[in-house]
Parts: sequence; structure tokens; C-alpha cells
Amino acid sequence: MSECCGPGYASPAEAIRAPREKLLYTIAIYTGTGIQRPDYLATVDVDPDSPTYSQVIHRLEMPGIGDELHHMGWNACSSCFDDGSMSRKYLILPGVRSNKLHIVDTATDPRAPRLHKVIDGAEIKAKADLSGPHTVHCLGSEIIISFLGNAKGEAPGGYLHLNKDFEIQGRWESSMGEIKFGYDFWYQPRHNVMVSSEWAAPNTFMPGFDLEEVGHLKYGRELHFWDFEKREPVESFYLGEDGLLPLEVKFHHNPDSTHGFCGAALSTNVIHWWKDDAGKWQWEKIIDVDNEMHPDWPIPLPGVMSAILISMDDKYLYLNNWLHGDMRQYDISDPHNPVLTGQVFMGGLLGKAPKVNGVEVAGGPQMFQLSLDGKRLYVTTSLFSTWDNQFYPEIRTKGGVMVMIDCDPVNGGMKINEDFIVDFGKEPNGPSRCHEARYPGGDCTSDIWL
Amino acid sequence: MTTHTVTIANRDGATYAVNGRRPLLEQLRDQGVDLPYGCEYGGCITCAAKLIDGEVDQRRQVALNNRQIENGYVILCVARATTDITLEIGVESHDRLYRNPFLDPLKPHELKADIASPKV
Ligand code: FES
Repeated sequence: MSECCGPGYASPAEAIRAPREKLLYTIAIYTGTGIQRPDYLATVDVDPDSPTYSQVIHRLEMPGIGDELHHMGWNACSSCFDDGSMSRKYLILPGVRSNKLHIVDTATDPRAPRLHKVIDGAEIKAKADLSGPHTVHCLGSEIIISFLGNAKGEAPGGYLHLNKDFEIQGRWESSMGEIKFGYDFWYQPRHNVMVSSEWAAPNTFMPGFDLEEVGHLKYGRELHFWDFEKREPVESFYLGEDGLLPLEVKFHHNPDSTHGFCGAALSTNVIHWWKDDAGKWQWEKIIDVDNEMHPDWPIPLPGVMSAILISMDDKYLYLNNWLHGDMRQYDISDPHNPVLTGQVFMGGLLGKAPKVNGVEVAGGPQMFQLSLDGKRLYVTTSLFSTWDNQFYPEIRTKGGVMVMIDCDPVNGGMKINEDFIVDFGKEPNGPSRCHEARYPGGDCTSDIWL
Repeated sequence: MTTHTVTIANRDGATYAVNGRRPLLEQLRDQGVDLPYGCEYGGCITCAAKLIDGEVDQRRQVALNNRQIENGYVILCVARATTDITLEIGVESHDRLYRNPFLDPLKPHELKADIASPKV
């Protein structure tokens, strides 16, 4: 980071050249596990030259129990690179169940983050009529957070707007239009567009997954394109059976590109969109992971692609199949024609890799963060406490794990790193479940360029 | 004010006096019972307990499907006691709360109340 400038990097190419990550933050939960302790932010040492490599070196407990920490986001990213008054100092940790926002200072001591401020869930309900926080993005010096429900937990929720001092500014959007559900979003300022996806109402997904409710249209199947400046949705794509539970949304990192991708979790498809020569948004299905038969089960098992990630050079798309147990790497140099270039198994219900580096894996690959240079992919195994309890009940006693996969950014290919594993089953207060991960210097799922 | 006795079967039969006005979660926590919870409005299932005996009013809950209700689950953050009750609490009581939907589908009458069809 040069001295004249704000946080992050001038361009994706600069980000790729950043120094290797030495620390990583992941949330770890006790909500729903039977252990009556707060969820926490774990600092993991990922410096191979350090004596505590591949270990949790610090734990910051939240003030209350039952938050269900889930995703996180930075107060500032490369979108503020030209603003010398901003710095990437605070990580925002929403509690999906408690509705609280925890603002954590990671800059004063990066190894031992400290709590800066808590925005109370009741205040958010009272001022913005929102609950069920999910994705955090900064936009310049402001912050917006998608919430999946109103104060009563009913869809579609909306977007909370915070200023840079973490004061509630009210709702960000001018209108939710006809949108039925919320979940993830990503924006591409040069094209004045934001794309948002759909999970379900908090009252639907929080208690667990009733597959039957998909047929009753209680889960989403649409993608929404927004006029970013006007803050309102302008076009929606009905994805139908190809797009059941469209969850994670990513644009190319290249700020000039109009190409973006969404993983439809239950259909286990990747949806690709782009703007055509006539200036119209188009979409297509580019990856379709087949269901697998489980020897003892009556219904074929979908992969459940709960996350996708694009490498900083926009060359590779990574995806998970949480129930099948595999992580995949696709070369998307031609985004219309992805090529499978790597695959590894870790856990999953098909029994293909019950142990990784000597640790029994409960759960399957779920969330992941790629190093800026595209060489190391850190993968965790828990999805959401109630859903874990349904599909992987043994995670209660075994906890989650973090695995590292070595990726070849030149020729493609993935391989599980044999020297790294963090077993959250061995945490001092009992087995916890790790989830989303972030690096202090910014990562492949946070930074956006103006 | 009428009080009811709550017996917690899996805490050595410990008993607590509660009123019928306020939710059980709040009253039991106030008396030092360590209970899991999350949303505190009846939507997220974290606070579910099993009702072994007696009756509660839990009309405000929206987390449980009809099978879970049939299996005795109650949502402590909104449920109020209407009689003396016996509960099993915590995740030890969750043995039938979670099910793999691919292995064990719900019948139409077992869905959540707003979409369930009448039992035939
Ligand atoms: S705490 Fe969420 S349902 Fe009771």
C-alpha cells in the first residue's frame, strides 16, 4: 500500500502482486452446537515460516450468544484507493440470528482484533425495519448490507446503509421493485449496475431446509439487475428450474467487464450473464453439476453449490458441492465455455474423502477464500448451523475444519496441501464451526474497482 | 397472577415458577437457566425445546413445521405456559428436530402451517 493513497490496490493486476497473506480471519460459531458460548472471530496463522503456522492464534468472542456469525465485509476496499483519508481497518461481522452488527478493529493489532462497536439488532429493526443480515460491501466510504427480511423475518428485506462512522443512515435502496427475496449482491460501477440474488425469508431458511418449500415458492429463483445510481431494480431474470436458490453473485474483477456469475445452489448450476453488443443483459447456464445417487437414499443428491469465487485475474472460477464433497476449478477464459481444470474431494456425503490430512471431515467444502495471487485456496466446511445439523449431524462433536488447496494459476489444477489443516473440533471451548475467511489486506471476494 | 411450574426433565427435574404472560425463555433465563437462543421472536428455531407434559401457547412462532410440532417441539422465546409443564431443553432435546430432507421428506400435512394441506 503506498503512502499517498487509500486502501487496497490500484487495479486487480496490482492486487495479484501484493505480498503473500500471513494472517487470515475466519468466523467460528457455537450457535446451534449446544455449547453455550459466543461465536468468535478466529485469527489463523497462514505464514509457513511461523512456528504457529496452521493454528488459531487468537479468538475474539462476541459480546452475546446466539448471533450466528456468517459472512463479513470490510469498511473500505480498493474502491477507496484514491481516498487517502480511508483505510481498511474495520471488519463488519453481522449476526444472522441476533441481527447485531459487530464492528471489529483489525488494524491496531492485526493478530488480535478488538471489538470497536456493536450496532444493536433492535435499533436496526426500529430504524430500518430489517433483519437477517448477509452480504457487506463498501461503496466508496459508505457501507451497504443486504438483509433478507423485515423486522418480522419476512421477505424480501432490503439494504441497510451505514456511513463510514457506522451510523445507520436508513435504507439504501429507493425501491425493491417486485423482488421477492434477497441474498447476495455485487456491483460494477463503470456499468452502473448491481446484481442481486435470492435465498429465502429468514423465517424460512433459519429454522432449517424443508425441501418441500422450494416447490411452494418459498425459495428464490431469480436474478435482479439494478440501476446502481438510482438504487432500484430495473430488470429481473427468471431462472426457473436451472436457477433454484441463486446464491453467490460475482462480477469479473476487471471493472470494464460486464461478465458475471451466480451459483444456483440447489440446481447446482453456474449462471453466467453479460451485456451483449446491443447493450442488453443476457444470461445462460454454463455449468451443470449432475445429481449423484447415494447408495441408501431414495432421492438423487444435488451438489449444493453454496459458493463461487473468481480469481483476481478473472481466469478461474471456483465452486463447491457441499453435499457431494468436491471443490472444482474451471478455466473461464472464455466465459461462455468453461473448462474443468481441477477437482479435489474433502468430506461430503458420498464418502470419497472422509479424512483430510488425518482429520475426519464432518461437512463438505462450503466457503472459500483465494489468495490474491491465485495459488492458495482456504476452504471451510460448515454452511449454516441448522442446515449443518440436518445434513451433517456429526459436525456437533467433530466441529469444522479449514483446509488449504494449492492451485496452479498458470496451467490449472488443484491439490490439497498436506502441511496445512486447522481442526476446529479441537478448540479450547469445544468443537466450533468455521465459515467465511478474509485476509487483512483485502481478498478476492471483497474488492471492487471504480 | 396465576403461576405455573416448569419442570426441566434433563436438569434433574429442577423446577421453576413462571407466569403465563411472558415468554418462557425470558423467565427461565431470568432464573438462571442456561438456554440457547438466537432471534428471540420465534423465527429461527435455536431456542426449541421439547414439551413432555402440559400445554403452552406458542401462536407467535413461525419456525416449526407441523411435524416438529407433532413431535412436541416448542419455541421458548415466544411460548407461554398455560398449565404446569415439563420440558427437555437444549440440543439434547433436538434429536427429532432436524431431518435430512432428501432421506425423509415431509408429507403435505407436515409442512409449515401456512402451506400445509389438511391431513387426509
Ligand atoms: S430464539 Fe429464534 S426462534 Fe426462539
